[in-house]
Amino acid sequence: MTGEWGIYIVLYFWLAAMGGGAFLITLGLQDERAKRSGTFLAFTGIVVGALLLIIDLGQPSRFWHLLSGIHPVSVMWLGSVVLALSGVGLFLMLVMRKWPSWLVWATAILVLLVVGYTGVLLMATSRPFWSGSPLMPWIFLASAYTSGAALLMLLGNNEKGLRRVSFNFALIEIVLVAIHLVWTYPKAQMAIQSILAGELAWAFWSFVVLGVAIPLYLEAQRKAGAIAALLVLAGGFLLRYFIVYAGQVEVLRF
Amino acid sequence: MPKPSDHSILFDASHCTGCRACQVACKQWNDLPGEETFNTGSYENPPSLSSVTWLRMKYTEGVDGGEVFWDFTRDACMHCSSAACVESCPTGAVNYREGGVVTVDQEWCIGCRNCVQACPYDAIHYDEKRGVVEKCTLCYDRVSNTLEPACVKACPTGALHSGSYVDMKKIAEQRLAQLKAAGYQHANIYGLAEMGGTRVLYVLLKHPSAYGLPVGPATEKQKVSSGWLSAGIAAAVLGLAGAKWIAEDRDKVGGERS
Repeated sequence: MTGEWGIYIVLYFWLAAMGGGAFLITLGLQDERAKRSGTFLAFTGIVVGALLLIIDLGQPSRFWHLLSGIHPVSVMWLGSVVLALSGVGLFLMLVMRKWPSWLVWATAILVLLVVGYTGVLLMATSRPFWSGSPLMPWIFLASAYTSGAALLMLLGNNEKGLRRVSFNFALIEIVLVAIHLVWTYPKAQMAIQSILAGELAWAFWSFVVLGVAIPLYLEAQRKAGAIAALLVLAGGFLLRYFIVYAGQVEVLRF
Repeated sequence: MPKPSDHSILFDASHCTGCRACQVACKQWNDLPGEETFNTGSYENPPSLSSVTWLRMKYTEGVDGGEVFWDFTRDACMHCSSAACVESCPTGAVNYREGGVVTVDQEWCIGCRNCVQACPYDAIHYDEKRGVVEKCTLCYDRVSNTLEPACVKACPTGALHSGSYVDMKKIAEQRLAQLKAAGYQHANIYGLAEMGGTRVLYVLLKHPSAYGLPVGPATEKQKVSSGWLSAGIAAAVLGLAGAKWIAEDRDKVGGERS
């Protein structure tokens, strides 16, 4: 298939989820410096992610067409609007010394929408592996928390809640992925075979072993926190990689 | 639902011989190049639609109870009234023109390919060279000048008809009654309810699934609303859980940082 959603989309999903997840988590902490760094991470992820999305377009110079009309049914349109607005919100938070609470709330909701719309975007397609179950937004949100917490730990934040968030959401995430595979199997057999034993098996099994199982073990043993966090981040990338490509393995045609 | 006066095409599978004159006429009128293809073990060729193949004949071949069957269906844009490509387009470049025809404004398309993922008929495709999407235009340049679409003009057996939606529906219903009377119990009309009603209607001899047609495809609006509903519940459930797990230790430790 030509023109598939490829590596730029995978990278964007990953960066937005990592930065967005880190931001949402730090809002729950009392540490002001952590909140600042969470804001910076989300802003960086969203700006770099938006640039990747523009590069991925067939006509990058026309990207402004996205913001020149109103198309609320289109998840792609809504996604680009919340992406742009959350960038503005995060920028204001970065430059302001004191945050008015409305700004924090509005930005938090926008960032949550950025992380969540990607799942809705995939669900609203005719690709059975993406639209066959309602779990895409769940998987992406859970993974955003897992990798957001891992990113903060990797950067030296020792808050105990982070370990708990990363551990619990990694468990939730792997269970959700398993349910999704069983749920969509009747409609998306080719996609699931390519994940379990085909061309995408390397990404899927690396995600399961390196991205989830080993970090969970290390975190349970309270050992090698930095290595566990790094593996979790790599797992977040692999998860999005196999999901994006598997959806397009079998193009629904008649 | 399509308006009674909308431009419309009727494909009658009971009259089709699979000669592919329509497929060739489409290429000629729209100036589309041929494709380098390969033998897939079927006379069906090319194996799918693409940015330069907007119409092809789909062959369904097999053996059923010792009897060989060879069924033909049209594979092209259905010009839906609730079109997934139009509703998923973030810029309005894919839209309904006069008479309900669904076309792409290639000066406005940004090449995001959301419509390619959304179409349940795999009828809209990305042109890598031009960076925009392409699809059947129902020969808008011809029908808006009182000519028939190229595929209809070329059909030698009367399997393709074109005209207003209400006329096409009438012909389809008459043909269906004839077929039922002749003993084709499973004959049916496809496209009356699918995707809000399609402007291309099919008269079929077998159940749509026998030809691999999507049965009862969900519209884009239905998919988007269930998507946001699911995302909303996920955000509430996972968000609250996350907030609780962060807060539990925060209250004990109180923002310690190395």
